[in-house]
Amino acid sequence: MMWLGFAALGRAPAVSTPVSDRDAVALAAAGDGAGVTALYDRHARAMYALALRIVQAEAEAEDVVQEVFAQVFRQAGRYDASRGTVVGWLLTITRTRAIDQVRARRRHGHDFSRRASEAEAANVPAPGADQERQALTAEEIDRVRRALADLSAEQRRAIELAYYEGLTQSEIAERLAEPLGTIKSRIRTAMLRLRDALGTESPLNAAKAP
Amino acid sequence: MTHEELRGQAGAYVLGALDAADRDEFEAHLPGCVECRADVRSLNRVTEALACAAASREPSPRLRARVVAGSAAPRPFPVSRTVLPWFLAAAASLALAVTAPYTFRLRDETRQLAATLRDLTAQLRDRDRQLVAVRSEVSLLAAPDVRRVDLRGQPAAPGAGARAFWSRTRGVYFVASNLPPVAADKAYQLWFVTTAGPVSASVFTPDERGSAEVVAGINPGMAAPTAMAVTLEPAGGVPAPTGNMYLVGAVAQE
Repeated sequence: MMWLGFAALGRAPAVSTPVSDRDAVALAAAGDGAGVTALYDRHARAMYALALRIVQAEAEAEDVVQEVFAQVFRQAGRYDASRGTVVGWLLTITRTRAIDQVRARRRHGHDFSRRASEAEAANVPAPGADQERQALTAEEIDRVRRALADLSAEQRRAIELAYYEGLTQSEIAERLAEPLGTIKSRIRTAMLRLRDALGTESPLNAAKAP
Repeated sequence: MTHEELRGQAGAYVLGALDAADRDEFEAHLPGCVECRADVRSLNRVTEALACAAASREPSPRLRARVVAGSAAPRPFPVSRTVLPWFLAAAASLALAVTAPYTFRLRDETRQLAATLRDLTAQLRDRDRQLVAVRSEVSLLAAPDVRRVDLRGQPAAPGAGARAFWSRTRGVYFVASNLPPVAADKAYQLWFVTTAGPVSASVFTPDERGSAEVVAGINPGMAAPTAMAVTLEPAGGVPAPTGNMYLVGAVAQE
C-alpha cells in the first residue's frame, strides 16, 4: 500500500519534492529515477568527498559515485531502515567501492569488498533494538573532525589507514612496522575519544558530565 | 577472548579493521552481549562522522547528469567501473527489446525439441530391446543342439499350427498362427511333455490375428522331452495342464 503513495508522488522534479530520504529510497526501489535524483541532490557532495578522500583522483571519485547510484537504483529494495540511516548506507557503499577501486588499481584483489560487505551486513547488528536514528548534524560532524585533528599523529594515522584505506589491524601493524597490540590499543583509544567528541551514548561521557 | 577484550575491539570492528578470526569471534559474541551491541551502535556514529568528515568538495555538474541518465531507465544496466560506456548500455537495452519476441519463440522451439528428443529416446530404447531379442533368437537358431518341433492344431483349433526351435543351452523359440482368441481370464500355456511329466515353458496370449511368438529359457536339467503341447489355462498359467489341448507336436528322439 505504501507503494501507491509513493507512486502518487509521480515523477515530479525531485528538487521540489519534499520526500524524506527513506521515501526517496522507496521511490528508487519502485524503479522511479526521481528517488535517485533526490538522493543525489542531498548526499552526492558527501559521497564524492569521501570517494575523493579514498581514491585521491577526481575522475575516479566521480566514477565511484556514479557506480554507487547505479547500485542503489538496482538494489534500493535491500536498504533496511532498522540498520541505519540512508546517508550512512550510501556512505558505506561509497567507501566499499572506493577502497575496491584503489585495491584494483594496486592489483591487491577484491577481498576488501567481501570483508566490507560482511561488515556492512553486520552494521548495527542488534535486531530490532534500533529506534529510528537521526542523521548526524553538521555540528556533530564538525566535532568529530576537530577531535580527529586533536588525536596524536599515530592515532590519527591508524584510524585513517583503517577507515580510508580499508586495512585490518594486522595490515596496519605491518605497514607501520609496529606490534599488533600497540595498533589495537591505539585504535581502541582513538575511537573512544572520537565517540566522546560526538557525545553519544557514552557511559564514560555521561560520568564526566558535570 | 574475554568480554572485556572483545569489547575493546568494538572500535576496530565498526571500522572494518578486525582480522577475519577476530571478526568472527566478535560477531559470535555480539548477539548475546547488550554492552557490546550498545558500543557498536554508538561507534557506528563515529564511522558515519568519519565518512562525512572528508573535506567537502563539489563534484562536477556532469556527474549529476550521468547519475540522472543512469536512473532514467526502469531497469538500469550495470555500469563498468572505469569510464562510461553508456552507449553500450543503450545498445544492449535496444538489442534486448528487439530480440525479446525471438527469445520467446526460441523458448517454444526448445520445448518442442525437448519433447521430440524424449520420444526418439523412448523409440531407440524399444529398438534396443527388439535387437537384443532378435540376437538371442538368432543365437538359438544357430545353436549346435537346436531341434525343431512342428505342432499341429487339435480339434479345439483345427486350423492352428506352430513351430518351435529349442536347445537345452539356449532355450526355446516358438511361433504359432491361427490360434482362437482367448477370454481375458484365460491364456495359452506351452509345455514340454517329458519322461518326468509336463514342464511349463511359457504362458502367452495371441494377437488379434491369432499369431504368437514366444522366447523362453529352458532348465537345462529338464528330463528328456517327448512332445510339446499348448493348452488353454487360466490367465497366469498353472503348474500342471488342466485345460483343452490346442496344439501338439512330437519331439523326435535323439
